[in-house]
Amino acid sequence: MRDKPVTTVVEPQSPRSSSPAWNLQELLTNLEDDRAFLGELLEVYLRDSQTSLQEAKDAIVRKDLTVVERRAHTLKGMMRNLMMNAVAQLASDLETAAREGNADDSSRLLPQLERAMSELLPEVDAQIAEART
Amino acid sequence: MKILVAEDDRLSRMMLEKSLDKAGYEVISVNNGALALAALEADDPPRLALLDWVMPEKDGVEVCREVRAHRNRAYTYFILLSSKESKKEIVQGLEAGADDYLTKPYDEEELKARLRAGERILELEDHLVEARESMRFQATHDALTSLWNRGVIEELLGREIQRSRREKSCTVVMLCDVDHFKSVNDEFGHSTGDDVLRELARRLRNSVRSYDMVGRFGGEEFLVILNKCDPGSAPARAENIRLSVAKKPFPTRSKPLPVTISVGVALSTDFEGHSADDVLGKADNALYEAKGAGRNCVRVAHPAPTNSAPNEAPPREPASLATS
Repeated sequence: MRDKPVTTVVEPQSPRSSSPAWNLQELLTNLEDDRAFLGELLEVYLRDSQTSLQEAKDAIVRKDLTVVERRAHTLKGMMRNLMMNAVAQLASDLETAAREGNADDSSRLLPQLERAMSELLPEVDAQIAEART
Repeated sequence: MKILVAEDDRLSRMMLEKSLDKAGYEVISVNNGALALAALEADDPPRLALLDWVMPEKDGVEVCREVRAHRNRAYTYFILLSSKESKKEIVQGLEAGADDYLTKPYDEEELKARLRAGERILELEDHLVEARESMRFQATHDALTSLWNRGVIEELLGREIQRSRREKSCTVVMLCDVDHFKSVNDEFGHSTGDDVLRELARRLRNSVRSYDMVGRFGGEEFLVILNKCDPGSAPARAENIRLSVAKKPFPTRSKPLPVTISVGVALSTDFEGHSADDVLGKADNALYEAKGAGRNCVRVAHPAPTNSAPNEAPPREPASLATS
């Protein structure tokens, strides 16, 4: 007679659950569940957000807060469009710090922003993959 | 309906395009103000425009201002989109000529509702233009026949005679009068008379070229202006016109009626130095001759003798017979 199973099945976390940093459900509703289009948008986001992030990092090094402000503004816009609200708030804070000429706060906020962005990356990739099916 | 979207942020632009496309608009999208201006100044431009305020090349407010400065074009309805929120900036946008203003992040349904409000404004403009054109037509055309009315055809005559003097070409002036028109009205009524006049206008229009002119000169009198006409072929052309009337009966609400016209012709080149009124007077004299000769015929005014001054009326001579 077979032993009873001793392991418990762990359900994989549904990629559709919205993490606090990203209101994915709301975004999908706004897009009328057009997953293909969501995929397109996310691909643009991936490319452009990395470019803006890198330019902000370079600018911080040479203490060019004007450029930091502009890139933070761009990132904020992108993230708000995609309902990545928590991350967008970080970008907004960075924009304000840079605008106020606060180099210390800017230097502190930029890595936080970068970290928050990379935390979203797996989910972004998952959505892109799903859009391709 | 065509709509222009001017937005430099790529994601925003993509999302706007998608949303508007789904709503049935034909979207033209650009990413800077210079391209926006070019699109709005092209032929058949979009009449609705969504402009982001902050853009490269020209910002949304500048684009508004420049388009509004060119007042002779059809109206463009502008909605400015911006993250600028202060009342001052909103007022600035509206004073630059924007019709409406939305601050980001905006609600998509609200945007579409405001666009529909813009479409209602454009519809209003269309109705006004239609009404204006209709009134313009009524003021310059005869109500019954849709030919040029008397005032206009006389003015056109003056212009064409002047032009033919300048260009050394010939303008042929023809007065056509319906024969025995009074008896048509008396016997069959004015509505039938109207049918005759309408059909006559149609036949006259069909007998002339696109650059010739036909006008209603009087109750049953019509003025035909043939521009750049070869003087040698003027009698034949006049005869063709007479024939187009005489050859087939006119359909009317009573019964098909035979109709004829008498035609008096004067060539501008036969009366160098004479005013348009004079030339018209010569055509009128020739018309009188045609009536006297039994009607349903053409008479051409004799050229003025070359040594007579314009103000000196040459002796009244019988007009020549047209060659048939």
